[in-house]
Amino acid sequence: MLQSLIVVFLVTTISFFVIRSAPGDPFSYESSNISLAVRNHWRDQFGYNRPLVEQYARYVISVLHGQFGYSFGMRSSVAEALSIAVPRTLLLTMLSLGLSFAIGMLVGAVQAARRGSWFDRISSGVLVVFYSLPDFWGALMALLIFTFWWPVLPSGGIVDAMHDFMSPSQAAWDRIRHLILPVGSLTLLTVAAIARYQRSAMLEILPSDYIRTARAKGVPERTILMRHALRTALTPMITLAGLFFPALLGGAVFVEKVFGWPGMGLLATGAIAGRDYDLVTATVIVGSVMVVIGNLAADLLQMAIDPRVRE
Amino acid sequence: MRTHALLLTTSVVALAACSACSSKESATGGSAGAYGGTFIYAQIGDVSDAFPPYIEDQNGRMVADLVFDRLAQINATLGTVGDKAFDPRLAKSWDWAKDSMSIAFHLDPRARWHDGKPVTASDVKYSFKVHSDPKAGAVTVPLLTNIDSVQVRDSATAVVWYKKHTPTEFYDFVYQIMILPEHVYGSIPLEQLHTSPQTKQLVGSGRFRLAKWQPGVRMDLVADTANYRGRPKLDRIVITPIADANAGMAQVLTGQSDFMQAFPVDQSDKLDSSKVARRIDFPTIGYAWLGFNLFPPKAKSGTNTFFGDVRVRRALSMAVDRKAMLNNVFGPSATNIGYGPFPAAVAYADSNLKLPPFDAAAASALLDSAGWRMGPNGLRVKNGVPLKFTILSTTTSLFRRRYSVLLQDALKRIGAQADIDAVDAGTFISRLNGGDFDAVLGTFNPDPDVGGALQSWGTKSIGSSNWMHYSNRTVDALLDSASASFDPAKSKSYSSRAFQQIADDAPAIWLYDVTLINGMNRRIEPARPISPIGWWLNLSDWSIPADKRIDRDRIGLSQPNP
Repeated sequence: MLQSLIVVFLVTTISFFVIRSAPGDPFSYESSNISLAVRNHWRDQFGYNRPLVEQYARYVISVLHGQFGYSFGMRSSVAEALSIAVPRTLLLTMLSLGLSFAIGMLVGAVQAARRGSWFDRISSGVLVVFYSLPDFWGALMALLIFTFWWPVLPSGGIVDAMHDFMSPSQAAWDRIRHLILPVGSLTLLTVAAIARYQRSAMLEILPSDYIRTARAKGVPERTILMRHALRTALTPMITLAGLFFPALLGGAVFVEKVFGWPGMGLLATGAIAGRDYDLVTATVIVGSVMVVIGNLAADLLQMAIDPRVRE
Repeated sequence: MRTHALLLTTSVVALAACSACSSKESATGGSAGAYGGTFIYAQIGDVSDAFPPYIEDQNGRMVADLVFDRLAQINATLGTVGDKAFDPRLAKSWDWAKDSMSIAFHLDPRARWHDGKPVTASDVKYSFKVHSDPKAGAVTVPLLTNIDSVQVRDSATAVVWYKKHTPTEFYDFVYQIMILPEHVYGSIPLEQLHTSPQTKQLVGSGRFRLAKWQPGVRMDLVADTANYRGRPKLDRIVITPIADANAGMAQVLTGQSDFMQAFPVDQSDKLDSSKVARRIDFPTIGYAWLGFNLFPPKAKSGTNTFFGDVRVRRALSMAVDRKAMLNNVFGPSATNIGYGPFPAAVAYADSNLKLPPFDAAAASALLDSAGWRMGPNGLRVKNGVPLKFTILSTTTSLFRRRYSVLLQDALKRIGAQADIDAVDAGTFISRLNGGDFDAVLGTFNPDPDVGGALQSWGTKSIGSSNWMHYSNRTVDALLDSASASFDPAKSKSYSSRAFQQIADDAPAIWLYDVTLINGMNRRIEPARPISPIGWWLNLSDWSIPADKRIDRDRIGLSQPNP
């Protein structure tokens, strides 16, 4: 826990100084209609003309009091902006994590059971291709195919412009439609790796004595796979979940940008471009805390499932 | 298991496809009547602030122009001298004092705020205070220095007093100040107004009122049916922010959205062949140029090695075939060529200026005479220094990206090497303000009055918006005279002479007037004329013919589900 706190503190400090070292500030608008005098007045008013060390000290004190500052891009407190954006990102990442593990583990298990078969070879090839694709390219291709060439899905946002006037069932389906492409793009990010790990783990377990015994006893192959082998292979996969969660958070930045999903990733990229200092630093803090919590959750889950780890 | 997986996948895709089919809106049998319709605007970027004193970008300005009113509105002629170019809004009439040191505005007795309360002279006084008091920190503070005070004569009459009589005194007050309700915002201390969450509750008197605002998701504006100027023809405007131009393009071409500003120009042929959307161009008062830093980079004085010599600047201007570049970027029928240091839409524009003609041979001869001799590698050199500089540009503008490449090529032909340095918007403006550039591809969006030219090219604006550090006392004097003249013809004569001098000094190459290429759904009928200071200014009069309305146009003014 102490180590995690130190990590968060260091990450916060680095991001605080790095974003302020970039040219510009929150009032660097291209509009020539806003005079330099007005911009300087705002810089004075909000303390951006003070020495950097003083700004840092003030920021740390306010964060310790639970105040994350003010976002000029969102015209609201940073806490309010994040309280809206973070759940949207968590929705994407948790759905993707769940889907990628469900699909990846299933595919990996079948690949191991049918090692060397056409299914094993073809699926491995396809998954390697998806794994090699850059995240943003995959997302852009999905956007092109399903919203332009074959326009069956919406091209962005979290709901349709007319969502508020839909019936409850239409509105629910509208939300699902808007989730398909961003969740699908994120899922592709990790499903290949998970399938690969699952396949390797199953291949280690399947030759075991207890599996051979179960076969000899006449236990159906499906039961052997799903009940015996898969459960044993679950422990390393849970560790993977803790590792993939940060990867998904990072991937969410690209996917949110491509699909206009107003989550933390889109908020962060907009804040960086607009030099919205407090919002940038806060998204880094939240991101690092989420990674720490994700890893902690994975560790706890592992302890719960594997009695050997508990001992 | 394989069969199940295949079935599941097929079902999901089929359901999605069916949903797309079922949500294809019927174009037949629309509701009757002149009123109706939902206009969905796919807007690049979100609305960060629409509270008038703090508007920093066009997104916020659009919303403010629809939700709030001014005392009078400038029309498409953009005349800023006197009041001839202004149409009544909250003020149904006005009287000038005999000495013109004050103007009494008589408010329309029908004018109401969106909460039903009447608009009064106290609101006018309060609005002036918010827009001019330095404690509030409004963007308009430096622009209202000639206004002394606002007096409340009675509940329907506000008298504006001026410090001196100037040609644009009417424009100065009326154009810069949007009237705000004192009973809504008056209790907020001025110092806290900028960050007060209450300023996101937009209560105005405009023909649209704010119905819903979800940052990052959407903003709903609905027709104010009881408005004193009559209800707008559209029922509803939905602004949906998009992060990416490609997403916006897909939305417009599939009918998901009705309008996208700044449609990618290299994809505009898709609009020509689309049955759903079409291309429609709108003018602006922006103009683009390649400017030359007359100081050394990052310096606050001195003479630039390359651009300090007017012969070099004129030679570089003459190397550029501006018409060919315009046609290359905007298409063969483009007419928005730059005529000088002003946009063509303003009243003081002069399309008869003599600009350096395109003549590469003459450009080379001029550089030779300035001592820049052609080297063996095709690069000119003077005193051992090669004619090599960077063009600062921004990554956000497709037009400027294309122009920078064309300019690079044109200048290479006369022996100048221009390297392109494209940066993000924050870095761009930071380097502009710091003078950290050699040449820059930029745009100005000046105010419609001739004072806007002083903001960009006046000596006093060096260190502010005069990024090229251009200074010519004759130009300053002529523009001052133009600003101070009450005779529009004389004012234009002064300004034309000033602009000719600027053109002769060639601190920049005037490339094009910024024209918005937009994608719009074919069922939308825009009202004309479109104002160059904002295409949205007459959005209240845009309509969707009854026979072209689709399902979302028939929602009407019903309230959304909670």
